[in-house]
Amino acid sequence: MTLPQHLLDRIASAAVAEGLADAVYTRLKTPIGTLTVVQGARGVLRVGFEKDPLDALLAEVAAGVGPRIVASDRELAATRDALEAYFESGDERLDLPVDLALVHSAFRRDALTELRDVPAGEVVTYGELARRIDHPRAARAIGTACATNPVPIIVPCHRVLPGSGGVGNYGGGPDLKRRLLALEGSLPTTAPRR
Amino acid sequence: MRTLALPPFWSLVEAHGDELLVHARRLAGDSNGEDVLQEALLRALRAYPRLRHADHLRAWLYRITTTTAMDHHRGRAREVLTDDPPAAAAEPDHYDDAFDSLIASLPDTAQAALRLRFVDDLDYAGVAHVLGISPQAARQRVSTAIRTLRSQGAAA
Repeated sequence: MTLPQHLLDRIASAAVAEGLADAVYTRLKTPIGTLTVVQGARGVLRVGFEKDPLDALLAEVAAGVGPRIVASDRELAATRDALEAYFESGDERLDLPVDLALVHSAFRRDALTELRDVPAGEVVTYGELARRIDHPRAARAIGTACATNPVPIIVPCHRVLPGSGGVGNYGGGPDLKRRLLALEGSLPTTAPRR
Repeated sequence: MRTLALPPFWSLVEAHGDELLVHARRLAGDSNGEDVLQEALLRALRAYPRLRHADHLRAWLYRITTTTAMDHHRGRAREVLTDDPPAAAAEPDHYDDAFDSLIASLPDTAQAALRLRFVDDLDYAGVAHVLGISPQAARQRVSTAIRTLRSQGAAA
């Protein structure tokens, strides 16, 4: 039991128009399950997989940017369109603005920012990404940065693979990582690459 | 950072929105309920980051909705006074039953207490909860209002 949708939409849009919302969220059905996308004034703050409990996810965002969080498909229409286009083709550049406010370490922010330059269809190893941000021996820390990436898919941690082969770990599970890589046509079939 | 963990605002809207809409309609009339609720929730959002505790948020939202409904009535009253064509002002759409005209002379707070007690048939604990006051204060508000009505009746 909740309010009629038109009223919820109206209230959320009025809140956004008045600058009263710290963040807006929407839930989006995709081939990899229902995603939750939370966006602030500067960009997407958080993407949650279907398995992530909504309450905990919104509480995490509230702790980071403030509790004035509203839901609106309409206010996030552009973001929804971009994600839908990505899931249709896989080669769409998801160049949505991202806000890494929920990342509480400069190193991890650097790693995730650098990662945004790895386009769909390409992959990179943990070690290579470490080299690119001038921390050549921090491959393991890059793994942590990816594991704690608050904005998966848009910040493409699924494109970071272990140098030893395979797809490695993924916040949404290795199977999801394989599906995203397959969508982008870059699922590794054989040996490790550098 | 924050020591106070307020729940994401929308979880309050989803948990209590429907009952707040009922409350808004009850106080402001069916056709104004949605507008009153929207304004109440925007007021709540403006104040939300300044709350110093996360207790009794439902009662807090009820209180804001009550206040907003009263302001809405005041706004309407002002409109009625300043409206040029009196014919338009003389058509209260849902404000015309006997009870409402009986209590119309009372302050808004007293009207709300009487409506909750006798139209919605809430007990004093219920009235107190909705208005965000103590049960004793609710009982007192209702009995004072009744005394005022009696004395007005006697004077008339």
